[in-house]
Amino acid sequence: MTRRSLEFLKGTLDVVILKTLSVGPLHGYGISRWVRAATGDDFSIDEGALYPALRRLEKRGYVESEWGTTETGREAKFYQLTRAGVEELDSEMRNWERYVEAMSAVLGSASLP
Amino acid sequence: MTRRWGEGPGIFPRYSVRDDVRKELDSHVALRADELVGQGYTPEEAEIEARRLLGNGAEIMRECSDIVHEHHRAERRARIVDTVIQDVRYGVRAVARNSGFALVAVLTLALGIGANTAVFSVVNGVLLQPLPYDDSQDLMVVRETTSRGGTMRVAWANFLDWRDQNTVFDGLFAYTSGSTTVLGGASPVTAQVATISVDLWSALRSVPSRGRLTLESDHVLGAPPVVVVSESFWRNELTGRALSELRLEVNGLQVEVVGVVPGEVVFPSGSQVWLPIELFPQSPERSAHNWGVVGRLATGVSMERASLEMNGLTQRLVAFDGVVDDEFLAAGAVVTPLQDQVVGQAQTPLLVLLGASLLVLLIACTNLASTLLARGATRLREFAVRTALGAGSARLVRQLLTESLLLAAGGVVAGVAMAVAIIGLLRTLGPQAVPRLDEVSVDGVALLYAAVVGVATVLLFGLFPALRLTRGDAVESLRSGSRGNAGGRGNRAWAVLVGGEVALALVLLVGSGLLIRSFQSLLSQDAGFDAIDVMTAPMALSRIEYPHGSDHAVFYEQALDELASLPGVSAAGVMSAVPMGGGLPNGRLELDGDVDRRAVAGYVVASAGAFEALDVPLLQGRLFDRRDTPEQPHVAIVSEAFALENWPNESPIGRSVTGGGMDDYWEDRRFAEVVGVVGDVRFRQLGEEAIPTVYFPFTQRPFRLQYGAVVLVESADGVAESVGGALRSTLQRLAPDVPLDLDTQQGVVGASLAGRRFTMLLLGGFSLIALTLSVIGIYGVVSYAVARRTREMGIRLALGADAGGVVRLVVRSAMNVVILGLMAGTIGAVAAGRLLRGMLFGVGPMDPVAIGIGVAVLAAAAGLASWVPARRGTRVDPMLTMRAE
Repeated sequence: MTRRSLEFLKGTLDVVILKTLSVGPLHGYGISRWVRAATGDDFSIDEGALYPALRRLEKRGYVESEWGTTETGREAKFYQLTRAGVEELDSEMRNWERYVEAMSAVLGSASLP
Repeated sequence: MTRRWGEGPGIFPRYSVRDDVRKELDSHVALRADELVGQGYTPEEAEIEARRLLGNGAEIMRECSDIVHEHHRAERRARIVDTVIQDVRYGVRAVARNSGFALVAVLTLALGIGANTAVFSVVNGVLLQPLPYDDSQDLMVVRETTSRGGTMRVAWANFLDWRDQNTVFDGLFAYTSGSTTVLGGASPVTAQVATISVDLWSALRSVPSRGRLTLESDHVLGAPPVVVVSESFWRNELTGRALSELRLEVNGLQVEVVGVVPGEVVFPSGSQVWLPIELFPQSPERSAHNWGVVGRLATGVSMERASLEMNGLTQRLVAFDGVVDDEFLAAGAVVTPLQDQVVGQAQTPLLVLLGASLLVLLIACTNLASTLLARGATRLREFAVRTALGAGSARLVRQLLTESLLLAAGGVVAGVAMAVAIIGLLRTLGPQAVPRLDEVSVDGVALLYAAVVGVATVLLFGLFPALRLTRGDAVESLRSGSRGNAGGRGNRAWAVLVGGEVALALVLLVGSGLLIRSFQSLLSQDAGFDAIDVMTAPMALSRIEYPHGSDHAVFYEQALDELASLPGVSAAGVMSAVPMGGGLPNGRLELDGDVDRRAVAGYVVASAGAFEALDVPLLQGRLFDRRDTPEQPHVAIVSEAFALENWPNESPIGRSVTGGGMDDYWEDRRFAEVVGVVGDVRFRQLGEEAIPTVYFPFTQRPFRLQYGAVVLVESADGVAESVGGALRSTLQRLAPDVPLDLDTQQGVVGASLAGRRFTMLLLGGFSLIALTLSVIGIYGVVSYAVARRTREMGIRLALGADAGGVVRLVVRSAMNVVILGLMAGTIGAVAAGRLLRGMLFGVGPMDPVAIGIGVAVLAAAAGLASWVPARRGTRVDPMLTMRAE
C-alpha cells in the first residue's frame, strides 16, 4: 500500500457509524469491515475507538443493540439506528455538506488575497 | 458468575458493562479471525493477529464502562476510587517492572529528604522553637556595654543596683556556672554547679518536684548553706535518698539539699546543683565582671524600652561614682533576647547547613526529573499507543503522577528513617558545637515538612516529564516508528538538568572545601605550645579538706614531685587553666611599682613544669623554681606580647607587675618582679591574636588553684596516653576524693574546634551526597543516551568507526554540558563563599585551590560517569543491537 491510510477527523467517527448503520443492523466488526470496503481501504476505523463510540451513541439514544447470530454462526451484538439516530444522521449530513462547501471555497480559491 | 449473556441489559440493571464489552470484543476477534483464516492464516495466527489489530482490550473495556456509567453520580465516585486503585496498581507494576530505576529514585529522594529533614529538625529545635520556659520570649539577657562598643558580663555591684532600681523587669537574676567537685553523693563527682541569685526561680517560673527552692532567707551572707539539685543529679548521683539525709560539700561549703527541680532542660544549661551567690562575699568593684544577668520583662514592657532604661540607669550608676573614662567600667547596658544568647553562635552554621541541605534536595530533584524524563521517553511508545486507543492525556498524566507519588512515598519513608539516623549522629557529634541539641527530634512538624517536601518534589518533577510525554508529538513519534524522542527539546531539557545538577554540586563541594581549608589553616597555626604528648587532669580539691591556699600549694608541690619522678614522664606541671581549656581570665594590673601605670593582661598561675610540658619556649630570664617560696620576693613571667606592649624597647627582666584586680594581693598592691619572658600562647582559640599574659608561680599565688586547676604531664615517648595510667593512679592515691576526668591536651584543643568541625563535617557530608547524586544523574542520562543511540553506534562501528572515537563522541557531548554546569557552578561557588566569609580562616571566599579541586573532582567524576556507559555501549555486538530494532 503506497497511500497512507487516513484517519477520521475528530468527531466524524460518529457520523460514519450512523451512516453505516443506515443500511441496516450491523455488528461492530461489520461496521469496521464495511467502512474499509466503502472507502477502498483509504479509511480505517481505529477499532479501539469504535466500541466506545458505539456506547456513546447508544447512551444518547441514536442506536440500540441486541445480541444475535451472524450468518457464519457467531454470536455478535447487532446495532441499529433509532428514530432519533436517523434524524441525527440527516442533520449531521447537512452540516457536513455545508462544511465541505465552505472548506472547498477556501481551499479551492485561486489565490490568496 | 452464573448469569447468562444475551438476557439483555434491562433485566439486570447492575449488569457488568465490562463483561458485556469483553464478550463483544471476543466476538469481534472471532469474526476478524474467520476472515483472516480465509486469507490463508492458520487459526492460531489469525487469533493473535486479530487481537493485535484490536489493540488493548482492557483499555477499551474501561472506556466503554466509563461512558455507560458516566451519568450515575454514585458510580462515578466509586469509579474514581476504582481508578485510583487501578492507577496505584499500574504504578506499582510499572515501578516494580523496573526495580533498579525505582531503587535509584527512592534512594535519591531519601538522600535529599533525609538531609533536609534532619537539618530542618535541628534548625526548628534549636533556632525556631522557643526556649523551654514559660513565656520564654519575655526572658532577656542584660549585659554591660564597653566604651569600645563591646559587651561584658556584669559586676555584682551593678547587678544589685539594677535589681533595686529598674522598673522594666519582673524578676532579674545573676548567675554563673562552672564544674567543680561535689562530695557526699554515691561517689565524688564533678558536677555543673550554678551560683545564682534568688530571682532565678521566679523569673523562670520554676516549680520544685520535691522539697523547696531557695528563699530570700537562704540568699544572705552567713545563712546556713543550702542547694537545690536537678532531678537527674538527685536520682543518679545522690541515688534518690531522702533530702533530709543529704549533706554535700560544694565549693568549700557543707550544704543541705532543700529541693529538686524537675525536667531535662534547666538554666543555665547543664546545671546539676544551684547554690546561692550570697553565701560568698562579692567584690564591690564595678569593674569585676563576673555575672550573667537574665530578667523577665514586666508585662507590657518592650525589649527596646527595657534596653533604654537599663542603659540610662547604668550610666547614672557609673557617673555617680565619679570615675570617668575607665574601660573596665560599664559605658551602659543592653538588653537582648535570651534565645539569641543561647543559640547565637549556632545560628550562622545552622543556616549555612540548611542552605546546603536545600541544595542537596534540589540536586536530588533534578536528578529525579532527568531520570523520570529518560524513563518516560522510553515509554513514549506505550503512551502513544494508549493515547491512540483513546486514553485521555489527563489520564496518562495522572498515571505518571501516581507512579511518581509511589516513589515519593518510598522516598519520604526512607528519608525520614535517614533523618532519624543523621540526628542520632549529630547528637554524638555536636553537643559541644550546637546548643539545645538534646531538645531536637524528628517530631510531627519535621514529618510534615518531609511529606510536604516529598510531595512538592514529585509534583514539580514528576509533572514536568509527564506533560512533555503526553503532548501531541507523542502520536507523531509512534507513527514514525522511532524508538523514543530523539528531538532537540529533550536534549535541551537534559542539558539544563544535568548542567544544573553539576553547578549545584560544585557550590557544595567548594563550600565544604573552603571550610576544610579553613580548618587546616587553623590547625597549622602556631599555637605557641606543643599539645601532642601532654595528658591533662582537671581537678578541684575539697576546700574543706584544704581550707587555705597554702594547703593547695603543698598538695600540688608533692603531686608534681611524684609525677615528675615517674618513669616515662618528661615533665609535670600545674596551671590555673590550660590553653583552649575554657578561657583566660583577664583584667587590669599595675606596672613598674607605680599604681597609676596600668596594663591589661591575661592572668595565669602556673608551675615551671607546665611550660616544660607544653614546650612553651623561654625567651629571656628563667622559669619559676624552688627559690620562689611565699616568703621570697614575688616573681612573675610575662608573655612576649606583654613585654612588647609594655616595655617595647627595654628588657622586661627586673621590671615589676601586680596581679591587679584578679589577685587577692590587690589590697596591698603587691608587686612581683619579672624574671622571665616566654613565647606567646593562644589561650582562647587557635588563630587569635596573642593576648598579653602574665604568669605567677602557684607557690606564691596558690589561691587561684582553689577553684580548680589542671595538672599536666608530658610523656617521654611522645604518646600522651602512655602516661595516663600513672597520672591517674598517682592523683587518686594523693587525693582519693577528687573525681578525675583525664584528657589529652590534643583532645582539649580538638574540643575547642568542635563547632567548626561540626559544620565542616556536615557540609562535607552533604557535598559528598551531592557529588554522588550528580554522578548518578550523569551516569543515568548518558546510559540512556547510549541506549537510544545503540543503533547509530552500531552502524558507525559496523562501518569501521574506531570504538574509541565513538566513546569520545559520547563523552564529549556529555562533558560539554558538564563544563557549562561547572562554569555556572563556579559563579555560584564564589557567591556561596562570600556568604561563608564569617566562617573562613586563612582562605579567601574565592580561594582558587578550593574551587580548582572542586572543579577537578567533579569533572573527573563526571567524565568517569559518562565514560563507563559509553564504553559499554560500544562493547555490544552491532548486529545484535540492529536486529533488536
